[in-house]
Amino acid sequence: MAATDMAPGRSRWGEGLLLAAIALFCVFPFYWMVTTSLKTQVVALADPPVWWFTPTLANYAEVLFEDRVGVALVNSLIVAVFTTALAVALGCPAAYALARFEFRGKRDLWFWFITNRFVSPVVLAFPVFLISREVGLRDTHLALILMYLTFCLPIVIWICTDQFRSVPRELDEAALLEGASQWRIFRSIALPLAMPGVAVSAILSFIFAWNELLFAYILAPNRAKTAPAMAVTFMEGYDVPFGKIMATSTLIVIPVLIFALLASRHLVRGLTMGAVK
Amino acid sequence: MKTTTQASVLALAAASALTAGPAAAWTLEEAAAPYAGTEIEVLFLDRPGYAAAIEMLPEFEAATGITVNYTTVPYENALGEQVRDFVAGGDLDIALIDLVWIGNFAENGWIVPIETFTSDPALADPDLDMADFFPLVVDAFGSWNGVTYGLPFDNYSGLLFYNRCMLEEAGFTEPPATWQEVMDTYGPALTKDGRYAFALQSKRNETQSADSFARFLWPFGGSFLNAEFRSNLNSPESQAGLQFRQDLMAFMPEGIVAYDHAEVVNALAQGDVAFITEWSAFYSTLKDPETSTIVDCLGVAPEPEGPAGRKPALGGFSLAVASQADEAEQAAAWLFIQWVTSKANAGRYLELGGVPARQSAYADPALAERFTFIPALVESWQEGVPEFRPRFAEWPTITEIVQEYGTRMMLGEVTVEEGARAIGERMEAVLEEAGYYDGRKPLAQ
Amino acid sequence: MQTRVSRLTLLAFLGPAVAALLAVGIVPLLYAAWKSLHDFNLTRLAQQRFVGLDNYAAVLTDASFWAALGRTALLFGIAVPVQVALGLLIALTLHRPGLSAFKALTRLSLVLPMATTYAVVGLLAQVMLNQKYGVVNQMLGWIGIDAINFIGDPTNAFVAVVLWDIWQWTPFVALILLAGLSTVPPEIEEAARLETKSDRAILRHVQLPYLVPSLVAILILRTADTLKLFDMPFTMTRGGPGSATEFIAILIERTGNRQFDIGLAAAQSILMLALTILLARLYIRVFYREV
Repeated sequence: MAATDMAPGRSRWGEGLLLAAIALFCVFPFYWMVTTSLKTQVVALADPPVWWFTPTLANYAEVLFEDRVGVALVNSLIVAVFTTALAVALGCPAAYALARFEFRGKRDLWFWFITNRFVSPVVLAFPVFLISREVGLRDTHLALILMYLTFCLPIVIWICTDQFRSVPRELDEAALLEGASQWRIFRSIALPLAMPGVAVSAILSFIFAWNELLFAYILAPNRAKTAPAMAVTFMEGYDVPFGKIMATSTLIVIPVLIFALLASRHLVRGLTMGAVK
Repeated sequence: MKTTTQASVLALAAASALTAGPAAAWTLEEAAAPYAGTEIEVLFLDRPGYAAAIEMLPEFEAATGITVNYTTVPYENALGEQVRDFVAGGDLDIALIDLVWIGNFAENGWIVPIETFTSDPALADPDLDMADFFPLVVDAFGSWNGVTYGLPFDNYSGLLFYNRCMLEEAGFTEPPATWQEVMDTYGPALTKDGRYAFALQSKRNETQSADSFARFLWPFGGSFLNAEFRSNLNSPESQAGLQFRQDLMAFMPEGIVAYDHAEVVNALAQGDVAFITEWSAFYSTLKDPETSTIVDCLGVAPEPEGPAGRKPALGGFSLAVASQADEAEQAAAWLFIQWVTSKANAGRYLELGGVPARQSAYADPALAERFTFIPALVESWQEGVPEFRPRFAEWPTITEIVQEYGTRMMLGEVTVEEGARAIGERMEAVLEEAGYYDGRKPLAQ
Repeated sequence: MQTRVSRLTLLAFLGPAVAALLAVGIVPLLYAAWKSLHDFNLTRLAQQRFVGLDNYAAVLTDASFWAALGRTALLFGIAVPVQVALGLLIALTLHRPGLSAFKALTRLSLVLPMATTYAVVGLLAQVMLNQKYGVVNQMLGWIGIDAINFIGDPTNAFVAVVLWDIWQWTPFVALILLAGLSTVPPEIEEAARLETKSDRAILRHVQLPYLVPSLVAILILRTADTLKLFDMPFTMTRGGPGSATEFIAILIERTGNRQFDIGLAAAQSILMLALTILLARLYIRVFYREV
């Protein structure tokens, strides 16, 4: 790159500009989303689009209360929180076992856990719809919470396995000598030390659960409808209310963006399942 | 089928007339008394007719104590949601039936014939007056195989909405009366300076089948199926119509294949096209200064005629009681359906932006001045074809085929003839599998 | 190294997780496989019947199935190289020392596109790419390009999906490559910089070998995620115009939700699953040699 040939001062500027461009590229759609959400329909449909205008919160009010997006957000919250809790409760012990214990079939189990991340929801969606009808779980939070385990549990397991592996074995051995059971060791020694990893996996699980669309769309059309499924409602209609669509979008996206920023350092690790640190 | 349905409609009318009588006058409040506190679920669309009904709800709920819970969904999801709900034994108590779904719903046993309720003196409103509905509408939206299941609720006819000012600028004093005029004179004269003469909603969903494809079959003498239920799409008339549509694209905005109702109505409302053939429901959008810039220039006329006459697009929704509802819910649902489509409420429904199917609602000449679409609508409902789109149970599968090849034709990916042949083959395969050709199923559409 | 424990302990630790995944992951899969052998349509439930491998035959001879797979492959083939190229540029820029506050900020902003709800991205696209009211066309106008019809034109709609895929996942690729770059031992890198001023040479001879694992991870993950791609094109164009943006997951959804042919959708899904499992095996073979 030519930058290295220039004097240090100039290359700093060039680099700075490049960084700014990258940041802008990432952030601009969000900027547009939020500003459009503050426009009235008339302003939003101005041709060409306007950049300066008087903002209004009317879209948010309408969308939260009249269009029941508020209810959808609450549903999303319930589902994401409970899925994460369940995934952590089930996944941590399993991760500990994978990190510490030796047993037959470990490889295959690991393979199975990883594969779940690769599987597309569309493969499971219709069969689950039919099953949920038999079991009476249609349109319930529980149905979604259970189905979301298919991708949240693997995330918790592989991040926590990694984390548990880095907990020093000497502590285990010392505790064993004192006669502690594996469960004691897990609960009192390993888990507290692995908290950072558990926290990260919880955040990632929350993000993925919150963002999920297909299962929500097919399994929870009404009472348990989640926020991304609300986005579908705005896909087609006789009008296309830009302001309201963007207001809904903003509301849907804010929680995950905040969490993503919190866990930003570990997001890549989570998305590559620990293959890349 | 028309005669048997009319006969049954008359029979029902007679029956209701007989059951009314010198006995204590039927009131909604009394009939609803046993069901106070019941909650009924229904799907609504984001369209003017439903907005009108929603405004009327408080009155119904106050009088009966029955709560109507509606969920608004996009049209494109409405069939899927209802099918899944009925298959899974869900909560819906009222079925919202697009005219093309009636065969499907009826054959699957998901809806209850109205006779169950009209023959019950406790529930039947003596003023129901089935004969007051436009026969075409009851037949097309609410009845299947001679049995009436639903009452027409959200009713449309295709109408020609035009920008009078744009036409006058180009030297026209009248809207086009025939499609040939559109092709020969109106099209060329109005397509210039970045504006177009016509926009035909053609998006690859039900819009393509109903609004785009079917609209250029019937007025040209074509049809989907012939008398033996074989494909009629390669007949000279059908081919002429479809080819006409291709040629007409020269006067439509580019990318027309992505235009759904919203885009087309907006195009007219913002002054980008001179006229559109759209559902009557859009009248209120086009007349509203907040959404339309052509409020004073808006003209409404019946759709142009083709060589085979005027066969306007026919569409609409009826409301029927869902069989999965329990007894109380069914009764409550019937009372609501009966009330919202009643003669007494039709005027108010009209005022609020809905389009009732009651002949009596349009009787007052003064209304025609305020709602300029009325004369065109009434005229269109005299001449329409119930099987504008076949309404049998196989329609969901067949419409997907029509949508795919219809849009491919318009995109130039297949020729009109090839596309029609492809649709024909696949359509016949579906019908064969369903048993229409070996007598297992009657040839009803 | 690893402890041997009693069966009971193993069951206690692993049992719940395994049972849960069995119930929600395997059972529906078996059900899907079973249904895929039937003619099972929601609107004709009364006429369901066993048809053996007919559905699979239908899928494998269905032109629109192959077209959808082809489109998915094309999306992958165009988007991923661009993501890698841009990602590398970004990673190299972030890797250089200096301007650390700026770089930290940039790294934060990179996280946003990846975490965004994919369904929302589709809606964003609708608004920003609108032919008349879209800001993208406005900006194109500033540099003298006429308004493009993105959503309405088959080719442009496909391109739009490609562009948004690039927007959403280039940061991901960049961060992975950045992590890969940081595995280069600093001494080697310093030594190389002393020998040559050419960044390109350093890239090719020093950094690239360390980037190979990252590139492999990117390749496999992006393939799997592209196969899964649903939310964004669905809310943007629902697979249209025509079938220009109908990717494999969208096709399957349409089969199940519009044609209601669950048997056929199940067959399509199982075939897609086979492909997915192949990819997973590959990923594990490469990355998890020691477990």
